[in-house]
Amino acid sequence: MSKQMTSVPRHLTFEIFRFNPHEPDGEPHMQRFEIEETPYMSLFIALNKIRETQDPSLQFDFACRSAICGSCGMMVNGKPSLGCRTLTADLPELIRLQPLPVFKLIGDLSVDTGVWFREMAQSTEAWIHAKEAFDPQADEQRMDDELANTLYESDRCIECGCCVAACGVARITKDFKGPAGLNRIARFMMDPRDERGDQDWFEVIANKDGVFACLGMMACHDICPKELPLLEVYAYLRRKALTTKSRDD
Amino acid sequence: MRLRYLTQSPPSLPNRPNKRPVTATAHREFLLELLSGGSGLFLALFMWGHMLLVGSILTGQRGFDWMANTLEDYYIAQPTVIIIFGLFLLHAVLASRKIPAQLRDRAALKKLARDLRPHEESLLWIWQVRTGMAVLVLGSFHIILLALDVLTPLFGDRSGIEAVTSIARVRAGLWLPYAILLICVEFHASVGLYRLAIKWGGGSRVSRNTLRRIEKLLLWFFLGLGAVVLLVLAGVVPAPLEFLVAVEAV
Repeated sequence: MSKQMTSVPRHLTFEIFRFNPHEPDGEPHMQRFEIEETPYMSLFIALNKIRETQDPSLQFDFACRSAICGSCGMMVNGKPSLGCRTLTADLPELIRLQPLPVFKLIGDLSVDTGVWFREMAQSTEAWIHAKEAFDPQADEQRMDDELANTLYESDRCIECGCCVAACGVARITKDFKGPAGLNRIARFMMDPRDERGDQDWFEVIANKDGVFACLGMMACHDICPKELPLLEVYAYLRRKALTTKSRDD
Repeated sequence: MRLRYLTQSPPSLPNRPNKRPVTATAHREFLLELLSGGSGLFLALFMWGHMLLVGSILTGQRGFDWMANTLEDYYIAQPTVIIIFGLFLLHAVLASRKIPAQLRDRAALKKLARDLRPHEESLLWIWQVRTGMAVLVLGSFHIILLALDVLTPLFGDRSGIEAVTSIARVRAGLWLPYAILLICVEFHASVGLYRLAIKWGGGSRVSRNTLRRIEKLLLWFFLGLGAVVLLVLAGVVPAPLEFLVAVEAV
């Protein structure tokens, strides 16, 4: 900390991906910007400074600035990260920013993660399936503390898309459920209120777009900004497939 | 964070009465995944056992020949070489289904692994594919050569595996392909077992760092043992444990 305050400010060079799909003549290219580093500068601060002082047309997304909303995922020197909690002090003087791959590009650094996550949620039917209609007057169903905590742990996913961008399979296979998708599947499988049975789940997990498409590069787990236990989630899904199948036979 | 619920064996959920039939693809994917992981596990364990048996050369030619004769006289070596070659090819076919067919896709994975540096596991995956390819070629050569050694005595007047032949081969230049095979196969097997353990939940019982340490320990142990075996076969160093079987000759 003190180092940041006392040392001479660094001169940062940003190389930022520029492309607006709505401009018919636009060509994707990298554009250079240069700014002076300030103490505790995050990419959020740096990008705003560039937009305010150098190029008002630069597009990027931020909302909460505290790693909760999941809208500022971007490739920082090739690694998917949240812009709001990445400090320039942890980066070299040359910082290359690109939009997350896989997702639909809105413009420059801004991507639409919503389309991907909605498709994923629809294909996995990521909601509680219950036969009986919900009765708002009835007492809440009791749940074991440990299970509730585990469900909450999975629900901490902010859908920033960093895991999807870090996933080799998601990059080359369009329909792969992706780390966030597999996490979502596990979340509803564990939920006792969901009445989908083992056989229903087996199709989703063991399908060619499910957990068996995973190559085991483990980058999703290691870059997840919320540190979700993704590897344990996949292991749960695999063992679940095994127990379902072995009970069948 | 360690989550106990995820690491326990999963509870069974009630099946819906009008359940959909499980599709054939899901069954097939599941079976292929089990077979590719299972064959890899078996081959890795076999290979370590094999390495220990070949280690008998450290007790000199007599120890090695005694080991080879025993395995052949009791008809252990003959079926083993056939079964292992079958499993070896099966594993190659099944494991290669995870390698992208398009060069463009392979390049994308390579670029991702390079961008994510110093993330080790991504690079390890790429190297596992590369070493796997090398093992397919060199390992096939090795298994076919040894299959001829082991199986031809069944049909004609010829002795099986012998220290003299192995030494002559290594000195004639086979030390090079064998050294490459040794490095590739040990790397491929130890990284493969590490990944297999993580995939099925070993990482929630033992920490991932511990698994990595075990993996590295096994890798270096068998690499070291293999290197000494090759050096002894090449005649660069004398068999260090020869005194164990040479006592009666004195």
